[in-house]
Amino acid sequence: MSLFNTKELTIGYRQKSGNKILQKNLALTINSGEIVSLMGQNGVGKTTFIKTISGLLEPLSGDVFYNGTSLQKISNQDLSKKLSLVLTEKPFSFNMSVLELVALGRHPYSNWIGILSNEDKEVIEWAITETNTNYLADQKLYQLSDGQLQKVMIARALAQQTDLIFLDEPAAHLDLHNKIEVMMLLRKIAKQGKSILISTHDMQISTQLSDKLWLFNFNEPTRIGAPEDLILDGSLEQTLYLKDYGYDMIHGVVNIPQTGLEISVIGPEKEKFWTEQALKRNEFQVKNGASLSIVIKQGKFLLNDEEFSTITSLLGALKNT
Amino acid sequence: MIQQQFESSRKKWSSILIIAILLTIATFIINVSLGSVSIPLDLVLKHFIGLTIDNESWALILSNFRLPKALTAILVGSALGISGLQMQTLFRNALAGPYILGISSGAGLGVAIAIFLGFYVGGFLELSGIGRSWLLVCAAGVGSFLILIVISLAAIRLKDSVTLLIIGLMFGAATGAIVSILQFFSQAENIQAYVIWSFGSLGSLSWSELIVFIPIILIGLLASLLLSKHLNALLLGENYASSLGLNLKRTRILIILNTSILAGTVTAFCGPIAFFGVALPHVARMLFNTTNHLLLSPLVIFMGAFLMLVFDTIAQLPGFEATLPINAVTALFGAPFVIFILLKKKNLNYSYQS
Repeated sequence: MSLFNTKELTIGYRQKSGNKILQKNLALTINSGEIVSLMGQNGVGKTTFIKTISGLLEPLSGDVFYNGTSLQKISNQDLSKKLSLVLTEKPFSFNMSVLELVALGRHPYSNWIGILSNEDKEVIEWAITETNTNYLADQKLYQLSDGQLQKVMIARALAQQTDLIFLDEPAAHLDLHNKIEVMMLLRKIAKQGKSILISTHDMQISTQLSDKLWLFNFNEPTRIGAPEDLILDGSLEQTLYLKDYGYDMIHGVVNIPQTGLEISVIGPEKEKFWTEQALKRNEFQVKNGASLSIVIKQGKFLLNDEEFSTITSLLGALKNT
Repeated sequence: MIQQQFESSRKKWSSILIIAILLTIATFIINVSLGSVSIPLDLVLKHFIGLTIDNESWALILSNFRLPKALTAILVGSALGISGLQMQTLFRNALAGPYILGISSGAGLGVAIAIFLGFYVGGFLELSGIGRSWLLVCAAGVGSFLILIVISLAAIRLKDSVTLLIIGLMFGAATGAIVSILQFFSQAENIQAYVIWSFGSLGSLSWSELIVFIPIILIGLLASLLLSKHLNALLLGENYASSLGLNLKRTRILIILNTSILAGTVTAFCGPIAFFGVALPHVARMLFNTTNHLLLSPLVIFMGAFLMLVFDTIAQLPGFEATLPINAVTALFGAPFVIFILLKKKNLNYSYQS
């Protein structure tokens, strides 16, 4: 039995003029310890899906199952012990301290007046330690950076002690360092046997972190598979419309059309790579054996016997020729 | 380390709470001893512990006037403070207060109809003191109860809280308009009677009214402590609150019922006392900066009691015959105090940010 699955699930919005269907006949499964990434363009229904399967929105038809039990038969209280959320919306009270925020994760377990037991406090301490946010515990939320806020929101979800965690765009607004930290944190959590569903636009999260991808398309069935399979059969490119803009899946770069002068670059690998990058960005054609050549020696760029110390000055001279 | 933080925050909280309780007791005794006649403190204490004091008129003043008034002040202060706190959290708005949903407008309309129509039916002015005050209490109670029912029905239908807020404001505007029309066609005596009611008064409750007033407010205060856990979850926003197992609609209706009963009862018996309920939660947060309602609510209750006693002591102008309207005193002395603290803190970070 899977931890989570959907059966003939149709999601969307009810409107007076008829229902607006975003995705239909979804049959999706998450097993224990899996990281699943949900991808698709804006407006394809990712957030609606997360809200529907977490009971915040009604499905148009079909059903959602947790451990084989229909969502309709699970009370809000019981669901809060099976599933925790990290949404894109921020808590509205920023005067809360991190400790108070994480403590709210114990809401489903604490007694009727909300006094925390020693066990609750131990779980809170564990969640904070697990996310390496101990040093933030007595800070107020308004003092945190976006990356820190994301980590303490994950700590709150951990404190809820659920087998499933759904995250809606956990890497949005984060810099590379924080994104990688959040990714490694999610990996660590999954290794402890928790299952994670991430709705994301981020290539690194979807291809390097996930065990499975779900690709939502407009008016087409959802594609499911290992990230690599979906890249090789072209599904990912098709879903995200990457081909139209010359996106190179292997290197993760956009190919800009090159129509300018033909130039060749000779030199050590790192400098050569970035010089070529700068040339491509400025629409020059990089070609081995072209008559015009740039030679890189000891960090200096040689063009027609003229020496340049930076790529900026090199580009300046090239544009004038 | 986390355990230590829980421990130290609990210690700080208990010491603030104990200070608030001690201040309330001290102010209570001072409040009772002062007035148009000053009664020595030792005699006041003697009277309260059941010893007879020689001066019979003082004993009479203490038990029939001063004691009911001080008890009223305590309950009014805590009730308004706690309703303000709940409304600020429910509506995510630092400017919300007990009357934001139109409770006082409903009560005002009830009172206006009773006074103005009572005049035409005849005999309002002839009613004796007790009958007249019960009539006003009932009229205000019915008015605020009707508003409460309409708002609750709206809360069952509507999905978000902010729309409710706008409906509350609309009710305020509409009832205000009806009151204006009634005033326009009324005699000067009636308008004066209405204006005096709208000043608010803590001293008009006798023991026969307190027997009704005290239990309702105490039950409301207890209920608000029980709602603390749900209010805390609401601080995360409604989607998160729901994912924490909260039944949003039920919680919202319980909070509205609780606030309306507290604020409605206060308004019915004492008139609309504005400002206090908006400002008090902020003062409590300045003293103990937390968002945890389980800690904040007891502080608000005792600080409300303490501050309302202070305002009442000022209002009764020790040594004079006259009493200032409590509504004016709370705003006159409260507003500069809040401004002072805000300027000292330089920003509003202690409260709400969205």
